[in-house]
Amino acid sequence: MTRRTLFVALAVVAVLIGGFSYLRSLAWRAFHEIQGGEESVHARLKQEALQPASGVKQVITLYFPADDESGLVTETREMPWAATDPDRVREIVLALVEGPTKTHNRPLPPSADIRAVFLTPDGTVYLDFSNEILKGLAPGIQSETLTVYSMVNSLAANIPAVKQVKILLQGQEAETLDGHIDLTESFEPDTSLGGKTN
Amino acid sequence: MLFLTLNLRLSTARLATAVAVLALLLLVWRPRALRSDNFVFYSPHGHDVVPAQMIGREEYLPLIQVLNAVGSVSGWQEKQKSIVVYFGSVHVEVHRDDVKVKVDKRQVVLPAPVRVSNGQWMVPLSFLQLALPKMVPQQLNYRVGSGRLFIGDVSPASFTVSLKSLPGGSRLSLDFTSAVKLKTVSQNGKYVLFLGDHPVEPLEKSFHFQDPYVTDLTFDDQDGKPKLIVTPGSLGLNFYPSEAADGKTLLVDLAKPGTALPLQGTTSAQGSVSHPGPAPRTAAPAAAPLPAGAPSKATNLATANPATAPPEPTLPAMVLDPGHGAEDSGARSRDGVLEKDLAAQIEDRVRAALLAAHDYRVVLTRVGDTNPDLDARDAIANVTRPVAFLSLHAGNYGTSGPRVVVYTYRFPAPPALLPVETRSPAFVPWDEVQRSHLDRSRELAQALETQFATLPGVATSPPQEAPVLVLRGVDAPAVAVEVGSLSPDVDAGLLSDPGFQERLSAAITQAIMIFGRGPAKP
Repeated sequence: MTRRTLFVALAVVAVLIGGFSYLRSLAWRAFHEIQGGEESVHARLKQEALQPASGVKQVITLYFPADDESGLVTETREMPWAATDPDRVREIVLALVEGPTKTHNRPLPPSADIRAVFLTPDGTVYLDFSNEILKGLAPGIQSETLTVYSMVNSLAANIPAVKQVKILLQGQEAETLDGHIDLTESFEPDTSLGGKTN
Repeated sequence: MLFLTLNLRLSTARLATAVAVLALLLLVWRPRALRSDNFVFYSPHGHDVVPAQMIGREEYLPLIQVLNAVGSVSGWQEKQKSIVVYFGSVHVEVHRDDVKVKVDKRQVVLPAPVRVSNGQWMVPLSFLQLALPKMVPQQLNYRVGSGRLFIGDVSPASFTVSLKSLPGGSRLSLDFTSAVKLKTVSQNGKYVLFLGDHPVEPLEKSFHFQDPYVTDLTFDDQDGKPKLIVTPGSLGLNFYPSEAADGKTLLVDLAKPGTALPLQGTTSAQGSVSHPGPAPRTAAPAAAPLPAGAPSKATNLATANPATAPPEPTLPAMVLDPGHGAEDSGARSRDGVLEKDLAAQIEDRVRAALLAAHDYRVVLTRVGDTNPDLDARDAIANVTRPVAFLSLHAGNYGTSGPRVVVYTYRFPAPPALLPVETRSPAFVPWDEVQRSHLDRSRELAQALETQFATLPGVATSPPQEAPVLVLRGVDAPAVAVEVGSLSPDVDAGLLSDPGFQERLSAAITQAIMIFGRGPAKP
């Protein structure tokens, strides 16, 4: 085998391997719709939520699960306040995803990715999460209840137009969040779960 | 470098072609789900095991192996897209990806096409019914979905199963249509009963029991050796198989250690007494010993053989719902304890205690590691018109110690928005059916919480209301009990301790007994 033939063979093999790997990764992405990693999801949430910020800031009250998951506790913080209610909904959900500043528990995992927000004239907010939310969620009756009501109570407490919240997964109505809590109807805020400032 | 670039340019056309072919391959390629089930061909001279393979949604068998199992292949002519196999006095011709099969000059159309996989010509299972009978003189006996085919004079035995509770244990009775030879071994905590060489065609492949001593009986002949696998209700039970009626009846006694075996007189005892593989642990059945000689009111029967002894559902039903199951393992602790297992362990203990008390028959929404959907669980409960429904869960309560919380259903929307009063009481919607039971559900929750409060070292809180979906469709008082903390941040600790589980189960049983006495008087 001459030196020239060897070079050509090597080059062809290298290109074939490279091309195969590239096409394989393209096919994988096409078939499996790989979602972005945690960071990119976060970045997208941030970008989408904060883009319409009007420069105005607002003191808002957020509900987080208590350390022992016995109920909800509140935290107040000043944050950029969007001009429209759907964008404010995104901002609040993003703040819940980012988590508490004190030693409370996170209601939503960092992987939570909100696909769409709709606010209907009757005051129902539709929160459409991707299935990524299930990856970091601690399943359980109590923890799922607190996850749902941390969103419902936080949204209703800060956005007067929000009367109830309907949660969707991947654009569809889901039976339960992660095997326990009924998502077939919309939720109204529930103050019985607590909300003392801590 | 210049030299290499030049050569690359010269071969651009070839490269482009190769890449295009690869791209096409990738687009056309679909992953195939493979399964390694076997298909067994029983003939008067023995048996042949042929591996089956799932291609797409169809189950396929290799053509040559099938024909060799049924008769003798004398040769074949293979082309790129077809094969002609010479089999006895006939020849059979099949074409790749074609549904038509030619047997001599007759044509048979199969519901699924012939495939080629790993160089083997594969025919769908329907080939056995539609084409094979035209190729062999013998009679073929094949029941769709059974995974076995009987050739010629082979007449398989069948059997019926019944389960009887006896003092200190349970007895499985298997009545065969022809005699079997018994050989027993224990493997991985289960007992395997080899039934000899005679082929067996069971009416059902597996039987599930609601019994503290035996949970499952499964038939298997994937390797051509018919056998029954008995799954005991807990480890450490004594096992006593025996034959009766000249080998036509098989009796299998499972009993607590210390119980005299056999449980009642048997005609002969050719089996062996053995313990399952792992060392016995403390998880003996929690049932109190039954009074000697007392007739058992709670007789559980396999659903497979209602004719042997008709069920007598005289006792009120109590439904236990161990949450999750199968692939849905629920919450998980740092040391790997799964919610589905914990729920099943607690259910097991509560069930044993309830059966021992003889006040209820216990209905389970899942048996073993399965996961019926929530509607199915509710349906199982509702058809038994139970006294109550108890769903068992474990969840995250942070890093706190053992905690038990009882939940009743809370409708996400307030009742005022859904005026049930105006609806016909004869047709209550499925998702509204729990509303009329909420008061009694709260009473059950209170009874449970009162009992839990007596457990040392366990934190409790007043019964709570939450939209726990599995409770919504239950047409009876229904509660969910969640123990914690089962969280990825902490070990399960006491939750997986048999002593703790026993105390918790006793408290649940006690609360059910108190609740069952009737509504609280004002």
